Amino acid sequence: MAPPDHSLPTSPARQSSSPIPRAIATIVVAILTSLFLLFILAPVVGLVSSGGARGLSSLVSDRELRASLLLTIGTATTATFLGVVGATPLAYLLARRAFRGRAIVAALLDLPLVIPHPVAGIALLLVLGRNTPLGVALYAVGLRVANSPTGIVCAMLFVSAPLYVSAAREAFARVDPRYESVARTLGDDAWRAFRRVTLPLSARGLTAAAVVMWARSVSEFGAIVILTYNPKVASVLAYDRFTSYGLSEALPVAAVLVLLALVPLAALRTLRSGDPLPR
Amino acid sequence: MISLERVSARAGGFQLTDATFTVPQGGYGVVIGPAGSGKTTLLETIAGTIRTTSGRIILGAEDMTHAPPEKRRLGIVYQHAYLFPHLNVRKNIEYGAATPADATEMAERFGVHALADRSVESLSGGERQLVAIARTLARRPDVLLLDEPFSALDPRTRNIARRLLRTIYYEQRFTVLQVTHDFSEAGLLGDVAIMLDRGRVVQQGDPEQVFRKPASPYIADFLGAENVFAGTAQPIRAEAPDWAAAAENEFAQHAVAFTTGALTFYALGDVVPGPTHAVIRAEEISLSAEPSMSSVQNQFRGTIVEIIPVGALTRVTVDVSGTPVVAAVTSRSMRELGLSVGTEVVAGFKATAVHLC
Repeated sequence: MAPPDHSLPTSPARQSSSPIPRAIATIVVAILTSLFLLFILAPVVGLVSSGGARGLSSLVSDRELRASLLLTIGTATTATFLGVVGATPLAYLLARRAFRGRAIVAALLDLPLVIPHPVAGIALLLVLGRNTPLGVALYAVGLRVANSPTGIVCAMLFVSAPLYVSAAREAFARVDPRYESVARTLGDDAWRAFRRVTLPLSARGLTAAAVVMWARSVSEFGAIVILTYNPKVASVLAYDRFTSYGLSEALPVAAVLVLLALVPLAALRTLRSGDPLPR
Repeated sequence: MISLERVSARAGGFQLTDATFTVPQGGYGVVIGPAGSGKTTLLETIAGTIRTTSGRIILGAEDMTHAPPEKRRLGIVYQHAYLFPHLNVRKNIEYGAATPADATEMAERFGVHALADRSVESLSGGERQLVAIARTLARRPDVLLLDEPFSALDPRTRNIARRLLRTIYYEQRFTVLQVTHDFSEAGLLGDVAIMLDRGRVVQQGDPEQVFRKPASPYIADFLGAENVFAGTAQPIRAEAPDWAAAAENEFAQHAVAFTTGALTFYALGDVVPGPTHAVIRAEEISLSAEPSMSSVQNQFRGTIVEIIPVGALTRVTVDVSGTPVVAAVTSRSMRELGLSVGTEVVAGFKATAVHLC
């Protein structure tokens, strides 16, 4: 007679952890990950390899490309500066204060992120265009918005400042408010406590937020092309050359834009290298 | 002086309600209460980092209810130190110091001057706490708020820090309000004990009084009273037994017979007849082989059911007519009486040792 079986019944979890299904799962994950990375990297690598060298040499020979790059960097930096100065208090308020309507303000700030960017350009044109009351008033004081660097800055600010607010809010939220409380009891007024404690402790996060905003501004196309086709930023120049002369003329501009995008990526990597690793 | 008059405040979902108490000028107040009772919220309300929704806060002689924290001339030390991580030890201590000399003095007195150039991230929990206390005292505050400041310290450093703080307190005579979980610490340090529960002050007064006469069975239990009985009280003034140990003024109170289960014992108190609670501290209960001939009126024969050594004392649980009575006896008494589980003993306590609440 066979001895009685005292072994415990195998649970479904134990069954699924057997070596063969685990190996299959590993292979599936590896294939999916590789395909995804390939999908992201292939166009970028293809673009840089076929247009990178020409793009870099064009920086010397192509005056229009040089001007558009300088315009892009200048307007993106101006938009980022305005965003940091104007939106930092809002980000702080959203992180620290519970006020009526906070959720609505936060939702409204996300709006530019979810609407198509040409639509954002149309919306800006409706408010800042030459024939609008605000446009007329600004023109009267010598500030033309449409078809000017000011228009580019406005478009960049509109679409990328919400990214800054969101990241800056996170940076402030990561600083325990009790540091401020201690600073207050040690004699600092609210502003001084912010300047001496909160700002230094959130500086790395705020810088990363500004870098993200700058990078997003550099890559903006949809809103800018509606508000200011000329003068051309680099993204509009790439589009213009593609539609006017074809792929080969657009390639160097596009490749230079990709190389330019590596600058904020490297900056972000450096800034985040000091963050604790996720557990 | 710290004086709160019906102070209410809200912090997140937590509500501090009608807090009223006074710690006299130069006094040492201790706030006791379970986790989540609102102790830190109370300190932060006094500090002004949480706004009051009603009531008045008087610090010194001034109404500071609406004053910003930096105008209140107080300091707060949290359980987790909250040293500024972007500044080294020296800069932390100097941050709000009244003078550079004060910062140096406090760093030296708390033994952290050797750490001056170290990053605060490299300090141990105990070192951080000492730096936090030095930083706060370097400001020479009139009022010092301490939120379990010694909890991260090892026993030796804790004793040193307590002694140092006590010395500086006697020198400078600021007013202190300290939060603690540990009632023995409250008795050790405090002039005034404030018992907090669910955002309300449930009892306050001399720490000894709060310890001996808790206002409710809950407080008694929280403060570690081993014998908390639910039962019925019946005043028996006419047939009061011999209260030889009672003080003169205590005779003015009712003699009370308190019944819990099959056990009835005598107490003194001003209670209405009916359901109530009786609290007897284990230290007040003596054990003997035979009934004593002394003035102790409450003597009951029972059987030892449990013996637990706790440091120098031993907690002995005696089953008296189905009611467990816990006594604390010394190791020497244990040996002399030859106590062990199953031994028959007499548990005795004075009527004045019974607190009705």
